[in-house]
Amino acid sequence: MENLFITENDLNRLTEELLKQNWNIISPSEDNKSFKTVDGSNKIKMNPEAAPTKISFKENFFPRTEPLFYFKSNQKGVELIEPRSCNAKTIIFGAKPCDAASVPILSKVFNWDYRDDFFNQRVENTIIIGLACCYSDEYCFCNSVGLSPNSENGSDIFLEKLNDGSFEVKVVTEKGKGFIESFKNFFSQMETSNLLPANATSLNEKRNIDYANIKNWLDNNFDNKFWNSAGELCLGCGLCAFVCPTCHCFDIIDENYDLSCGRRAKNWDSCQFELFTKHASGHNPRDTKEKRYRQRIMHKFKYYNDRFGKILCTGCGRCSRGCPAGIDIAGILEDINSISSNIIETI
Amino acid sequence: MNIYKPELMIIKDIIDETPDIKTFRLQFKDPVVKEKFNFKAGQFAEYSIFGEGECTFCIASSPTRLDYVECSFKQAGKVTTAMKKLNIGDTIGFRGPYGNYFPIEEMKGKNILFIAGGIGLAPVRCVIWNTLDLREYFNDITIIYGARTVNDLVYKNELNIWQSMDGIKTVVTVDPGGEKADWKGEVGFVPSIVEKVSPKSENTIAIICGPPIMIKFTFPALLKLGFSEENIITTLENRMKCGLGKCGRCNVGNIYVCKDGPVFTYSQLKNLPDEF
Repeated sequence: MENLFITENDLNRLTEELLKQNWNIISPSEDNKSFKTVDGSNKIKMNPEAAPTKISFKENFFPRTEPLFYFKSNQKGVELIEPRSCNAKTIIFGAKPCDAASVPILSKVFNWDYRDDFFNQRVENTIIIGLACCYSDEYCFCNSVGLSPNSENGSDIFLEKLNDGSFEVKVVTEKGKGFIESFKNFFSQMETSNLLPANATSLNEKRNIDYANIKNWLDNNFDNKFWNSAGELCLGCGLCAFVCPTCHCFDIIDENYDLSCGRRAKNWDSCQFELFTKHASGHNPRDTKEKRYRQRIMHKFKYYNDRFGKILCTGCGRCSRGCPAGIDIAGILEDINSISSNIIETI
Repeated sequence: MNIYKPELMIIKDIIDETPDIKTFRLQFKDPVVKEKFNFKAGQFAEYSIFGEGECTFCIASSPTRLDYVECSFKQAGKVTTAMKKLNIGDTIGFRGPYGNYFPIEEMKGKNILFIAGGIGLAPVRCVIWNTLDLREYFNDITIIYGARTVNDLVYKNELNIWQSMDGIKTVVTVDPGGEKADWKGEVGFVPSIVEKVSPKSENTIAIICGPPIMIKFTFPALLKLGFSEENIITTLENRMKCGLGKCGRCNVGNIYVCKDGPVFTYSQLKNLPDEF
């Protein structure tokens, strides 16, 4: 399946067909705040120049609230009822490389040893159509974490917009191949393409982040006084974790409908909250925001990589764009970069 | 498979240990689950009350007695407050066993020193009964247990049983001021009682659990007695939710206490960031 293309018109026809076949179609919303369901009244949004949505698309695989089971008590005891399995065929259009890459990253933690089939089932039922990115602002740093505006990592099918408005189509996974075979009428094949990408992809990232350098520093500087200043501005609001495509910490809580029934659910949580690690005894291993901010950086750029061989960050910059205190994660990494370089220079 | 869905257990017995600590004896509702269930000393589980939530406790009973599972808990938060109100016959959710365990096989042929403080005796009690039920495999057994006051001692009946058993040295202490007029045990903090009892370190494994402050001061006492860092084993009590290495709560450095622990040797702990 070489040299595959799809025109904008065919893309719209394809979504109409998918709607007819009851697919759950997801795309960046009109206001670009999040990924929303397309129901026919709105169209899919495939704009390579758009900024990343405010909230990442991870909630399609790891929802804000996921019912784990329902419980019902009566005279005979307690009955547990499995939640309805989420097996609706889903397709996500317009995932940026910094969104799509989060799926294989998250898959590591949800599948080592115990397998979280809530996550797995959603991933299995979803086709991810990635879109080459032509956006870049001062918060973007995907190039610094091993990705790029052209990364196909995590996408099943990857599109690049061309200067005539059509899209070049790359098949990335077997699942993507299967999808294209089922809907081959909507795709066209050309001998060669003399069309250029609509915009040069955004390779103009200006951040000075050398990950190898930073990792080496993190390995040896848990107690460095740098952490006192790094976390100083943090308000502990947790926004960074909620907009992040890779943050996956969660809480498990019970919700009652009435005295005899309710549900247990998995909810998004954040290591930036004081209660996150607080013991029943009152002892709290991470009792200051400075310690909690250090955990955020360490988990993303050291611990997760030590454990699972992947950086827990896609460089999307959402946490920095959204932070009410103006903490810029790429700036923190640049600071670490310069501290570590200075040390090397002084030695 | 739904890894978050618990099995159902029925409360068969309730023991009031102290004014705020209770022990539940639980049995699986489903006989097939009961038949299949197995665990190792030191593992923990997620216990739940439907409508209130889940709580992490060690399995306080011994794997040599699989007819039931026991857990001891102190009333501290929402779930334990609700648990305290439960009665015999009530239902509890149980997910587990989770985590690693004490190296019982490697402990065979050695002297075992048990040190516990407060409700920290619960995980240690599991290993104590495990070794006592396999008594011929172990050499000298010493138990040092302390609590703030006489009223705060848990497993009082078992302390008496251990004290009356041959070949086991059991020393019970309370913090200064916590004794009563008729108190016949020791008075003093656990680390100083350890130094006073002065157990031999040669061919001995020390198993220790208690409040962080007790552990902190008992480590140096043991090192002074000549224990090697590998022969001091403890169990961590980080806050947990999933118990499955997913939710991130018990993360200390690149380890998950719920998966790589809760049992660690002192030499392993020394290399972890100080976040437990």
